[in-house]
Amino acid sequence: MALIALEFPPVSHLIEWPDLFGTSGPFGLNKVVLLTFLAAILVLAFYLIAGRRRSLVPTGVQNLAESVVEFIQEGVILQTMGPEGLSWTPFLLTLFSFIFVSNIFGIIPFIQMPVNARMALPAFLAIVVWILFNFIGIKSQGLAGYFKSMLFPPGVPKALYILVTPIEFVSTIFVRPLSLAVRLFANLLAGHLLLVSFAVISAALFEATVVGAVLPGGLLIALTGFEVLVAVLQAFIFTILAAVYIGGAMHPEH
Amino acid sequence: MRIRTLTAVAALALLSILSPAGVATAQEEPSVGETETEIPHATEECIHLLEEGGEPDDCHDAPSPILPEPKEIIWGSISFLALFFLMSRFAYPAIKKSMEARTEKIRGDLDEAERVKTEAATVLEDYKRQLADARNESSRIIEEARQTADQLRRDLMQRAEAEVAELRQRTREDITAAQERAMADLQSRVGAMAIELAEKVVEANLDRDANMRLIDSYIAQVGSSS
Repeated sequence: MALIALEFPPVSHLIEWPDLFGTSGPFGLNKVVLLTFLAAILVLAFYLIAGRRRSLVPTGVQNLAESVVEFIQEGVILQTMGPEGLSWTPFLLTLFSFIFVSNIFGIIPFIQMPVNARMALPAFLAIVVWILFNFIGIKSQGLAGYFKSMLFPPGVPKALYILVTPIEFVSTIFVRPLSLAVRLFANLLAGHLLLVSFAVISAALFEATVVGAVLPGGLLIALTGFEVLVAVLQAFIFTILAAVYIGGAMHPEH
Repeated sequence: MRIRTLTAVAALALLSILSPAGVATAQEEPSVGETETEIPHATEECIHLLEEGGEPDDCHDAPSPILPEPKEIIWGSISFLALFFLMSRFAYPAIKKSMEARTEKIRGDLDEAERVKTEAATVLEDYKRQLADARNESSRIIEEARQTADQLRRDLMQRAEAEVAELRQRTREDITAAQERAMADLQSRVGAMAIELAEKVVEANLDRDANMRLIDSYIAQVGSSS
């Protein structure tokens, strides 16, 4: 390490931020919390501005916002929940937009910290989705009906229920929220660590020899572009899986 | 080398100044000899650990990056729930209203376009029918006019022929009448002349040669006088 003058900080030092403004404890404010606020404010401001413009031919912000709404409705809800799932548009739109903005902070210059590279927000959102799809399932099918359709899926030979039932139970009750949260968190954390690694390598090589920094510097740029894709994709995956789980609870036969 | 170092330091300084949410805990160790250096967060934590009797290795033990921080969960949940409430209450209904208004407008315009198209097709049909009627009417009028003209021509010809025939007949009758009048006149005059001649013959009692001369001279007289 000392030979090539590379000093990688511990992982926790890249994603844990000190409390600011003299705050501390469970209501302390750090960079991640401020970015969470900023993400919520940006999303709300974006849609409020878009909603205020009511031109017949949408342009700019209105056009972008309506495109996102249409994407959520046609690309997510109608594909997974059917037309009766359209009432979930505000929730899924908020979910997608909030996750996307929280993710994209990872590549915004001088911010460069994806909120979802911390476990807090993905875990909370996954718990919200978990509560929602279980609640909707019990509400639409009844407690017994919901657990029956979950644990004993129709069309499976009865002998296989010995295997299928525990798998389905673990899968629906534990794996779903865990995978939702971990997928989002791990992707964003991995992306953040990749960017930091390549930035540190580029800086160190730039110190030693300018030419040597060309390759890692180029890769850093490419990875930054890749992180845009990851930010969109992970927001989309989280949203569409939430829609699939809620839609599945509404219509167990699908 | 010095320029590159200075550039890197300037960039780092700018980054730390412009960074909105403070400085990351990952900071370089303060170099030996620096007197007024702000102690980084990590170092603070390390000092704290050492003061509490920990080993220097404990400084590298960081909290698990997987476990969520309570403050981030609390503020994150508050942010998301507030955002969802405001989105579903204010932002989304406005966008939905705008989109629905446009959908209605487009649907209305399409219906109107369909109605106008149907109306236009009906009007076009009417016009085509009227045009066809007008063409038929004009053909009928032309045909009728032609027939009338033919009839008129025939009538005029017949009338002209009749008039000509009548004129010819009248002329012929006039000629005949004139001939008859001339003959009657001639007869009466010849009779009178015969009587007058006979009187003269009787009065003169002439021989044959004298009678003949007399007759000839009388005829010549009559011829010159007629």
